[in-house]
Amino acid sequence: MLPAERVQKATGLRLFWYTIWARAYPRIIGSTREKSWLFFETVLPLMGTASYVFVYRAIGAPEAYTGFVVLGGAMTAFWLNVLWAMASQLYWDKDGGNLELYVVSPGPLMAILLGMAVGGILMTATRAVIILGVCSFLFNVSYQIASLPLLVLIFVVTMAALYGMGMMFASIFLAAGREAWHISNLLQEPIYLASGFYFPVKAMGFWIATFASVIPLTLGLDAMRQLIFAGDPTLGFLSVEVELIILLVLSVVFIYGAIKMLAKLEEIGRREGRLIERRR
Amino acid sequence: MSITRSFLDTPFVRRSNRLRTFITAAWLGWQIESNWADPFLFAIYSIVRPVTSVLILVVMYSVITNGALQEPIFAYIYLGNALYILVGQVITGVSWSVIDDREHYRTLRQLYTTPMDGYFYLMGRGVARLIIGLISVLITIGFGIIAFQLPISIGAINWPMLLASTILGVLSLAAIGMVVGSLTLMLARHFWSLGDAISGALYLFTGAIFPLDVLPAWLRPIGFAFPVTYWLELARRAILGPNAAKFPTLSGFSDLELTGILAAITLMLLVFSWFFYRWALHRAKENGIFDMETSY
Amino acid sequence: MDTNLAIETNDLGRVYRLRGPKRKGDAKQLVALDGVNLEIRRGELFGLLGPNGAGKTTVIKILATLLLPSSGVGRVEGLDVTRDVQEIRRRISMVSGGETSGYGLLTVEENLWMFARFYGLDNVTARKRIDALLEVVGIADRKRTKISDLSTGLRQKMNFVRGFISDPNVVFLDEPTLGLDVTAARDVRGFVKQWMHDHPDRTVLLTTHYMAEADELCDRLAIIDRGKLLACDTPENLKHRLQREAIFNLKVGPLGPKPSRDAMIEAVPGVRQATIVEQNGHTELNLILAQEDVLSNVLAHLTRRGSSLISLEKREPTLEDVFVDLVGRRLDVDTSHHAEGEHAAG
Repeated sequence: MLPAERVQKATGLRLFWYTIWARAYPRIIGSTREKSWLFFETVLPLMGTASYVFVYRAIGAPEAYTGFVVLGGAMTAFWLNVLWAMASQLYWDKDGGNLELYVVSPGPLMAILLGMAVGGILMTATRAVIILGVCSFLFNVSYQIASLPLLVLIFVVTMAALYGMGMMFASIFLAAGREAWHISNLLQEPIYLASGFYFPVKAMGFWIATFASVIPLTLGLDAMRQLIFAGDPTLGFLSVEVELIILLVLSVVFIYGAIKMLAKLEEIGRREGRLIERRR
Repeated sequence: MSITRSFLDTPFVRRSNRLRTFITAAWLGWQIESNWADPFLFAIYSIVRPVTSVLILVVMYSVITNGALQEPIFAYIYLGNALYILVGQVITGVSWSVIDDREHYRTLRQLYTTPMDGYFYLMGRGVARLIIGLISVLITIGFGIIAFQLPISIGAINWPMLLASTILGVLSLAAIGMVVGSLTLMLARHFWSLGDAISGALYLFTGAIFPLDVLPAWLRPIGFAFPVTYWLELARRAILGPNAAKFPTLSGFSDLELTGILAAITLMLLVFSWFFYRWALHRAKENGIFDMETSY
Repeated sequence: MDTNLAIETNDLGRVYRLRGPKRKGDAKQLVALDGVNLEIRRGELFGLLGPNGAGKTTVIKILATLLLPSSGVGRVEGLDVTRDVQEIRRRISMVSGGETSGYGLLTVEENLWMFARFYGLDNVTARKRIDALLEVVGIADRKRTKISDLSTGLRQKMNFVRGFISDPNVVFLDEPTLGLDVTAARDVRGFVKQWMHDHPDRTVLLTTHYMAEADELCDRLAIIDRGKLLACDTPENLKHRLQREAIFNLKVGPLGPKPSRDAMIEAVPGVRQATIVEQNGHTELNLILAQEDVLSNVLAHLTRRGSSLISLEKREPTLEDVFVDLVGRRLDVDTSHHAEGEHAAG
């Protein structure tokens, strides 16, 4: 027998908070229950990153490049998390019948997307830390950190901008079907290239590096490299301070854009019936 | 459809369940994977992804060597990476359909209650990506010749060796794809394709983008166990001629010896994948996870 | 605006643009709803009855804020489905038949907890309600089972718990017993009745194409076909419409090919509706006659045609008869012209 009195329901920020953790929960529990990812998310990308280190060795690159690759390899984890575990995840959720229940619930879609990201952080952080730790050990990478607080700040702001951008992608994917999948595929390698995951972005030349700076990881990575490998002349597309300011601007723009676009694209989805269609 | 139907109608194919399964699966894969009427998809899979992945290496190389693109190592890296596109495409093509059929189309249980042969079904599903991959390889190499003056002359290519080694290489990749697909039968769906992850990791051992000598000596034997290593070496020799011999890793072996080794490893992998698939399918059914839904 | 109304639609319409294999300019359209007017009072268990493709699900999706109407107005508890989206979502929930929601790797309890949190329930309340509701639907022993290991019936019971966990004011049940066995369907219906009894101020809008389900559960129901509302009343009153007519089931010998046989029966003066089914070497006729004495004319026609009478039964009207009378065909005939299956327009 159910109690007759009405249930108290949270609203506003508290509901936002509840929703984030509720959506993160399946991710966290899922990754502890199905542990096969541990191998695939650590050993395999570790080997991929090591390959790029050996390319540099094969062509006689200075040792500093090993460090650049290791840091870039670690940061791929966040880019992949945004692309596959967040932006295009709505496609799978639509497919599985969950999306329409998310939409019908008062839990904000933005909180659901954040929940996906938070839930995926266990995997992502494991991947990043293992690549960074193991590769640094294996390849004797030495770090000269200029300012730890600034490094942490750059990382946090980069993540805020990156995940804000991920939410904007997700809103676009909300209106798309399997196309979302293709767009994620389209963005994976080109961003590795343009953002300089495996080489200092300065090497791409001013204009490409400028355009690539729209992707928060471009400047985030360059700033972090400048702080971690202090004094290396190949680094520094812009100064750390300027990069930090741009990243702050990007994070505000992306998060604001994500809020607006999610609302807009949800409305388009409702108008065109895309939220309820399942195209197999 | 009409080409597929005329294949399916030939008496030989009609008698063979496996061949029928293979051709039907190849047709299905083609319908799903490729939509040539859509220039957007063609651009993503056949141009943007492969070309940008090779450009990453080109930039890395240029930054260090100040653009010494005429050095033999550049052609070595470029060609290895271009050919390597097939590794990801074939392994993923064969293995991803397990996830796609299980959790997207949800047809796995219906498929496996028909009399078709699952092994040949998965192999067939890989054909579409193989074709897309081959086109990507050609585009990437063509791009290299035009943009970076790769020292490749169409007339000088040893076509029989290229063809034979590529057929063996693709068969060995399909066998690896079968092993990955069999594993997938027992695993949850994660966010990425296992085939792509594995092909990314094999970069390290197969001499695709750097000669195996660069690896520490204790890691090299792993590379010698992979058929891709021999296929890439043979394909490079066929395409680049004497330039390919500048790297000492496998220079002690003649073309014939390398082909023999590649054929032997391919055969072993095919046999292994055959039994492994059957074992994995049995395990998946035994544990009741054959048609599980594993999103999280 | 009547504050006693839980749901109200005025001239509600919805048109889908169909996407063909080739994207040409002349996109086809499907009219899924055409000027639907509904008034559902608080505390009512209201049914939408119609065949697949009639537009039932479209009504629900619009009211549940998943779809915008192309024309007209929809209101839930006086709130506009187009504008007051967030406020409506706090008050409603939706359960669909054959639903596959949730995450396979999570247990029943974990999935329910997740959805409870989306509705803003705190931890303690969520757990209490999960336990209580699982007990009510009889799957408390499956609380810690992964949902990928549940049978269809158990999974649908879990979906039901999800639908009611947030203590909604208005619940949309879209074909809730679809694909369930007799026992599971009975349990589900029993739960809905009990919930309405315990919470007399709440409202349920149920769509179904099972006549018996609609008859058993609904206080009032509307019959919908091809996007149009054909009738709306209590089941008793709807059946009462046919009280003056006579309804007969006849079993006769074979009647020959379909078109001429159907035309022959329908041509008999006084036959209002006839549905004819060939079965195991004989023919079953379900006839709605203007009055009883028309039967003798029908029998005379059958005799002239050389068909012998095997059995004859006069019976009370059912909702099926009401539907046939209104629409001119049986309910189980699929009228979905949405061949591409992109939208659940049913």
